[in-house]
Amino acid sequence: MPAQSFPAPYKRETVNVNGLKTTVYSAGRGEPLVFFHGAGIWHGASFALPWADKFRLIFPIHPGLDEADDDPAMNSAHDYVIHYLDLFDALGLEKIRLVGFSLGGWLAANLAVHQGHRVERLVLVGPAGLRGKEMPKGDLFLLPPEQLPSLLVSNFDTIKPYLPDNPKDLDFIGARYREGGTLARLWWEKPYDTKLPRYLHRLTMPTLLIWGEDDKILPMQNAELWRQAIPKLQFQTFKRAGHMVLDESRDAVNAVQKFLSQGSALSRHTGNVR
Amino acid sequence: MSGAVRFDFMHFMPYIHLPENQKDFPSLWVDFPNKFYDPKRGVELYQRYLTELITAEKVGFDAVVVNEHHNTAYSMMAAPNLIAAAIIPQTKKAKICVWGTPPNLEYPNRLAEEYAMLDVMSEGRLEVAFPLGTGMEYWANPISPATARARHRESIDIILKCWTLDGPTTYYGDFYTYRYLNPWPRPYQKPYPPCYIVGTGSQETIDLAAQLGFGYSSVFVTKERALELNQTLRKRAAENGHHMRPEQLPLQVITYVAETKEKAEQEAIEHIRFFFEDALRTTPTFLGPPGYLSVAELKKRAALADKLHGGFNFDAINEAWFIAVGTADQVVEQLEEWGGKMGTNHYNLLAAIGNMPHWKVVKNLHLIGQDVIPRVRARATAKHRVAAE
Repeated sequence: MPAQSFPAPYKRETVNVNGLKTTVYSAGRGEPLVFFHGAGIWHGASFALPWADKFRLIFPIHPGLDEADDDPAMNSAHDYVIHYLDLFDALGLEKIRLVGFSLGGWLAANLAVHQGHRVERLVLVGPAGLRGKEMPKGDLFLLPPEQLPSLLVSNFDTIKPYLPDNPKDLDFIGARYREGGTLARLWWEKPYDTKLPRYLHRLTMPTLLIWGEDDKILPMQNAELWRQAIPKLQFQTFKRAGHMVLDESRDAVNAVQKFLSQGSALSRHTGNVR
Repeated sequence: MSGAVRFDFMHFMPYIHLPENQKDFPSLWVDFPNKFYDPKRGVELYQRYLTELITAEKVGFDAVVVNEHHNTAYSMMAAPNLIAAAIIPQTKKAKICVWGTPPNLEYPNRLAEEYAMLDVMSEGRLEVAFPLGTGMEYWANPISPATARARHRESIDIILKCWTLDGPTTYYGDFYTYRYLNPWPRPYQKPYPPCYIVGTGSQETIDLAAQLGFGYSSVFVTKERALELNQTLRKRAAENGHHMRPEQLPLQVITYVAETKEKAEQEAIEHIRFFFEDALRTTPTFLGPPGYLSVAELKKRAALADKLHGGFNFDAINEAWFIAVGTADQVVEQLEEWGGKMGTNHYNLLAAIGNMPHWKVVKNLHLIGQDVIPRVRARATAKHRVAAE
């Protein structure tokens, strides 16, 4: 049996977002930290639990992925931004810290472009969505499905517990195919966002970019594109970590925690700015 | 069964001069390197294949069928309308069936125009099909598989409007905007040429044919599955107020006739083997690009792919698929049996199989024309007469 994706203390709830049943996991208390996951969440969310020690961690599942309901009309970043603004309203979230990984990094950057005043701090983790000079590297549709798990990580043992024992597990294959279809609505005709670079100057909130040095999905050269476009950007890379840098590097998880804790109400009150 | 017996000859026009190491390539589609295409040998093949198509009319076939595929040695017909245009002046009566260009791969107004041109050029001999296009076409063309079905429906809607509404008119759709929809020329046949949907049996495609009242041909499915699809289609068509006529249900059969059963098998099997093992060889990823299939359909196919594993076995394939290889008598019997079960009198014969040499194709066409077609026709007429009395 594959490992549990959302172990305790994660709590699951279903929120009706403008008619779409949206699954939201949460853990911890404190100021809200929203995490936008990548194009699949089968590898689990245990990596984020350390953040729940300090924050109210909110982990929504993107429509059309994994167990979430789908809305086939969602086919642009804009659709996701509006979906999440509706969700934030439903959850009563005003200001947030926002972390986005891969596909979720692209969505987080888009949301922050439009609603910068709500995003106190932004972390982009190996974000997808820009046209790298190394294309077709970074075109997710060219990755052979059977090789995908091993390409995602530096050390295969990281994700092995989440893979089914039988590689021909039909439910697993079906779920991955569903993710592919959702992604195809966004990125098949153009596997990058040509407009986003024009807007990234709007990311004036403190922003951290992190990357796994062994990223085989989105090569680290892609970081340059983000660094050039975002005015004030901190940048950190992590060794012995692939695309799934948060799953593979506790240092990366800690670095995010440290960055997000800066300027928090807690640290402001205690003057404990590190 | 009403309506006249009809025999079609379908050609795929494969590029057959493959490199010796072709088995090393998991797919002869999408990414099979085009450096292996030699235009000089292409000249010979086009000339040869056109001759075969024209021969079919001469020996008694009622129609010739061409279709479209991209990036593949399986077919040299990236633009089947060009082939249709080459056949028209060299034939007199045969229906010219373009089954067809996937509407998603061309602007719908232009496809409506091209088909209208062919229909006028042939004095109303055109028949068309509107395939969604295989998964492989979506890897080769800049169109999203995830919105393929919605685009397909809109494209067909536009084409039918082109053919039925007096222009200029307008179209404001999800995918296409036309401020002046006014295509010239218009089809020769009224309201428009006979239309079919061809597909491998997904529910969405069946429903589309049923709703539009189009003919439907299942391709590359087993006998068992074809019968199942046939039942579903009739039921769904009836629910939509359409009665499927026998001629609307072309039955695709791999056919080879020779003097004896042994000889037929000896001459045909290696090419049937090539067809299944090589020409059709591709990867599950190319067959089902993301969003192209429903998740349920993908799982069904993934389960099936495992069962089919184990390589080519003629007896098994012969048993499972519509394959008629034998003497004229045996082939007549098989066609009649399957036609009866499927409720059709419209046979679409794949009589140029895989990498079959020219002489075998010509011999096959002549034997079918001489000994199969007239017999099936005569027996159908006799049956009809008995039924009428």
